[in-house]
Amino acid sequence: MIGQYYSWGLLVVLIAAVAGFAALAFEKDDLHRLLLIDLVEIPSLGFIALLGTDLAEALILPGLVVGIAELFALSQIYLVKEGLQDRPVRALRIEVVQRSPAPLVLSSILVVYGVILSGFTGGAIAALGLIFLFLAKDSADDLHLLELASGMSWVLWIAAFFVFMFLPEYWYAALMGAAIGILIKVVTKLALVGTMWGEQA
Amino acid sequence: MTTAGGTPLFLLEFGDIVISFTPYTTSLFILALVFTLLVIASRPERQLDIAFGTDAYMTKEISLSEMRFRRFMAIACGLASMGAVVTGDLFDFCLFTALVGICNVGIVAAVKSRHVQNAAYQYGLVALAATVLLFGGSAMVAATTGTLSLPILATGTLPAVPLAVKAFIVIGVMGEGMAPFYAAKAEMFRAPGAPYVIMCSLSSLLIFLRVIEVVVQL
Amino acid sequence: MIIQRISRFLSDFDNLMPLFAAACAVIAALAIISLPFAYYDDQLYPKSIDEKSPLDPYDRGGPPFSRAEIRLQYPNNSPTAGYVTAYLTPFSWFLANTTLHTGTTIVAHPGGILDEILYNTRGLDTVVETAILFIAFAIGSYIFRKGSR
Repeated sequence: MIGQYYSWGLLVVLIAAVAGFAALAFEKDDLHRLLLIDLVEIPSLGFIALLGTDLAEALILPGLVVGIAELFALSQIYLVKEGLQDRPVRALRIEVVQRSPAPLVLSSILVVYGVILSGFTGGAIAALGLIFLFLAKDSADDLHLLELASGMSWVLWIAAFFVFMFLPEYWYAALMGAAIGILIKVVTKLALVGTMWGEQA
Repeated sequence: MTTAGGTPLFLLEFGDIVISFTPYTTSLFILALVFTLLVIASRPERQLDIAFGTDAYMTKEISLSEMRFRRFMAIACGLASMGAVVTGDLFDFCLFTALVGICNVGIVAAVKSRHVQNAAYQYGLVALAATVLLFGGSAMVAATTGTLSLPILATGTLPAVPLAVKAFIVIGVMGEGMAPFYAAKAEMFRAPGAPYVIMCSLSSLLIFLRVIEVVVQL
Repeated sequence: MIIQRISRFLSDFDNLMPLFAAACAVIAALAIISLPFAYYDDQLYPKSIDEKSPLDPYDRGGPPFSRAEIRLQYPNNSPTAGYVTAYLTPFSWFLANTTLHTGTTIVAHPGGILDEILYNTRGLDTVVETAILFIAFAIGSYIFRKGSR
């Protein structure tokens, strides 16, 4: 059933890709180039999605992550190269938020909910709570703790991978290890962005 | 199980992704390994600026943290090219190639010079644009043949991959390794720290040699 | 000399991106001309949708701790493939038995076909993907700290 529509879908995505790349070819401004590349990434997800199987959904995640990660690194390089680093970034300067325990309560709700969900989405939700806390508190906390947690979750993740590959009968332990590992990893990575943002205020 | 690179000497099986050491990929792998070891062992050079017409010259000071960061990126780049030359799965190959691309950008971007950082930014943009072609190409291969495994694609029993899709993958790898841009890549060599910058060129050469083998058997 | 002019054009790195983007646009246009591509029907991990199941978009086939039928590339390499697909956490098992809307949150729970592919059968992909994420964040945070010092 997918087969007869595949080429039509491909036509639409390819036209989008041609339009995006053509715009990129004519653009002179560096910042606009970065934004246009973000636009061109969308057809690349479209190519994968058109596969239309469960495999496609699993392949979209690496595709998306690679795009976001490189975009993050490039935007930092852009800031340094244009000398924009020293500009103050406004954090959440809301008096009520800064003085009351509300951010703590809200972020702990988000973190607990994220832990219940677990996995990638849970990590994103828990990280949102931490980012909000860092933004509202207006102070940089210990980056070392975050980095340590990130490293530990990485080890957990790789260990889970090797269990899956070489001791497949313990698949349940590996699944739990990978789920917890990716939860902590996403949390720490996104929280790092939160502190980087908050520190400059 | 004979591929364009010869009969596999050794297979490492990670589920659906089978890493195959054929004579061709093994030689590329050893090359990457040797250069990675060289990067680990070697000491960074210092660049001299000589003022013409006088005897004056000065050494460029490079901070220790910058050198350590660039060495880390060069080692990561070596590991990524090792992965890219031996992997037996098309999508995995594309991911390793994207890793090589971002490591190349990292090696250059750490240099504290406006000019070099500008170059790194432009290379980063090209590398990011190239991931579109790589992922798009491998997804279209999966759609038209039903598999991503290179040994199975090499058997020739599956439908042929359209020419445009092969071009997608080749141009994508060119963009990641910046292979056709050696003229502009000279800018990179102005960045101090010789042993690390070599890794940029070597890795792009390796992934380019590998993509030829990959595309031939599609 | 034409080669000299080309080389001079290439040596300005501001011209790299337009050149590469133009090449990409041409290749994509070439792909449009060579359409249609025949879709190969015998795909790996085919998608099946059972709208009556509470686990709707990812109906997992069978109760937890039993083995679901999935179609993977090398069945011999993953002898336990299928267990992760069928697994539900106690919480999602409870949701699936009480409501019809578990599907809205199902991707977030451990287990299922996506976890099977991402962690087990194509686990190396995910390792490389997180390595890319790690390298990109290393570059970003190194440059950030260097600039703030």
